[in-house]
Amino acid sequence: MKEFLDMGGYALYVWPAYAVTLTVVVLNIVWARRALTRSRAEARRRLIAQGELQ
Amino acid sequence: MIARVPPAPGTLASGAPALSRAAEGGVPALAAASALQAARLVLRRDLQLAFRKRSQLVQPLAFFAMVTMLFPLATSPELSKLREIAPGVIWAAALLASLLALEFLFRDDAHDGTLEQYALSGQSLTWLMFAKTCAHWLLTGLPLALMAPVAALSLGAPGTSLPGILLSVAVGSVTVSLIGAIGAALTLGVKRGGVLLSLLTLPLSLPVLIFGARATQLAISGAPFLAPLELLAALAVLGVTLAPLAAAAAVRISLE
Amino acid sequence: MTWTWFHRLASPPYAYALAARLTPWFAWPAALLILGGLWGGLVLAPPDYQQGEGFRIIYVHAPSAWMSLMVYTTMAIAAAVGLIWRIKVAHAVAASCAPIGASFTFAALVTGALWGEPMWGTYWEWDPRLTSELVLLFLYLGYMGLRAGIEDPQRADRASAVLAVVGVVNVPIIHYSVTWWNSLHQAPSVMRLGKPHMPATMLVPLLMMLLGFTLFFVALLLVRLRGEILSRERSASWIREVVRA
Repeated sequence: MKEFLDMGGYALYVWPAYAVTLTVVVLNIVWARRALTRSRAEARRRLIAQGELQ
Repeated sequence: MIARVPPAPGTLASGAPALSRAAEGGVPALAAASALQAARLVLRRDLQLAFRKRSQLVQPLAFFAMVTMLFPLATSPELSKLREIAPGVIWAAALLASLLALEFLFRDDAHDGTLEQYALSGQSLTWLMFAKTCAHWLLTGLPLALMAPVAALSLGAPGTSLPGILLSVAVGSVTVSLIGAIGAALTLGVKRGGVLLSLLTLPLSLPVLIFGARATQLAISGAPFLAPLELLAALAVLGVTLAPLAAAAAVRISLE
Repeated sequence: MTWTWFHRLASPPYAYALAARLTPWFAWPAALLILGGLWGGLVLAPPDYQQGEGFRIIYVHAPSAWMSLMVYTTMAIAAAVGLIWRIKVAHAVAASCAPIGASFTFAALVTGALWGEPMWGTYWEWDPRLTSELVLLFLYLGYMGLRAGIEDPQRADRASAVLAVVGVVNVPIIHYSVTWWNSLHQAPSVMRLGKPHMPATMLVPLLMMLLGFTLFFVALLLVRLRGEILSRERSASWIREVVRA
């Protein structure tokens, strides 16, 4: 396990690289879902304001 | 650039200055002319109007000179060292100076409704965009090409390199004007669109920078510079065929 | 027959419903492929004879770089379709692509730099690929900047579409010029792995990651697309049902 984490001495480069990519992946998921939620809320608000809902 | 809502289609902007500007270039005569005549009319109009505001004409050139001057002061006065960075300095400064001038390419015409008259005149907007780009190059690119050898001299370039430098900047700036016209059309009316214009135009102009700087570098070192010059010319030809089309499309979109 | 399928896709409510239905079909396979690829790349694949364990960065760098290019191409095609046939859904697709592509371009640059330091001895290297990648990031930022700068959504759609098409024409030219420039200066040899051909144990995880990321992109796109479609449909009646749900 130690050897795995050490990555043959390249740990300082390999793990941050994976961390950055993983972060970008996770952020993309979060942003995409948030964007959808926001659009739905906005559409909701718009329709209510136009009197077509509620 | 000030964000501006263009006047509603079909109406002429009011105001005597606008009308006199319009009449100056014969905009009413536009619809009746052939494509080539119309282009020539627009070119003549742009040149005439630019020469009225000579101070505005000079500004990009002064900027070029100023930026060129920054480098010796920022690095070292040794000509041998400056000679090495001269191609980069000249081209970066020329690009930035062209960008400055591009902001004004469409601004006044959009302001007073002339641009809409162009779009509505029934003339090929592509030809008119080509004409405007020609005007921009004659007013900015060509003067920069004439100034570049002087700047190069100040950075330690030998006298024999000057024709090559002039040629490379002259040809390269054609493409920059063409690409810049697209960017200027896209950013019409965008608040503080000048920075965005630069952000859009610079990446697309990188090939010109690369080939142009290389040609300049070869010229300074006395080597044959035909290869990059030909690449510059190829880019210019490609630009001439495609860019006015894109600029016309962009103008129509911006006027919607 | 084929054209009705195309026209149906252009219909916002249909596209919206389809996107919602298809998302899990891309999201779950993507997750499996990526996890499998990570396992294969980090654990199963043997170390490279030249770069040792350091080569494993390829399993995140290559997919990121692939994403940056693939997404830009998708964006440009969608933009062109939207421009030519005036299809709002196509513009919505293009808008959805940009943030995804930009973020993975960033990832490609960072992972490339992290790969460069142990291999070339420097974090940044003006080699053709990294330089082109940097330019691509600026193209994305310019696209997003233009969209943000234009207030009218329809005009923003169409203007950024022109920019995307102009950009995609330029990408090969830029790449060629950067490669040309780089070759003049006898740049250090391009990153390459020890053996001329990758053994299957190294290659298969890489392919899994590439495919997994591609499917991941589609899933992300489908999620963002729904939001973009909604924001373009001002008061269509079908929205009422969607929002009520």
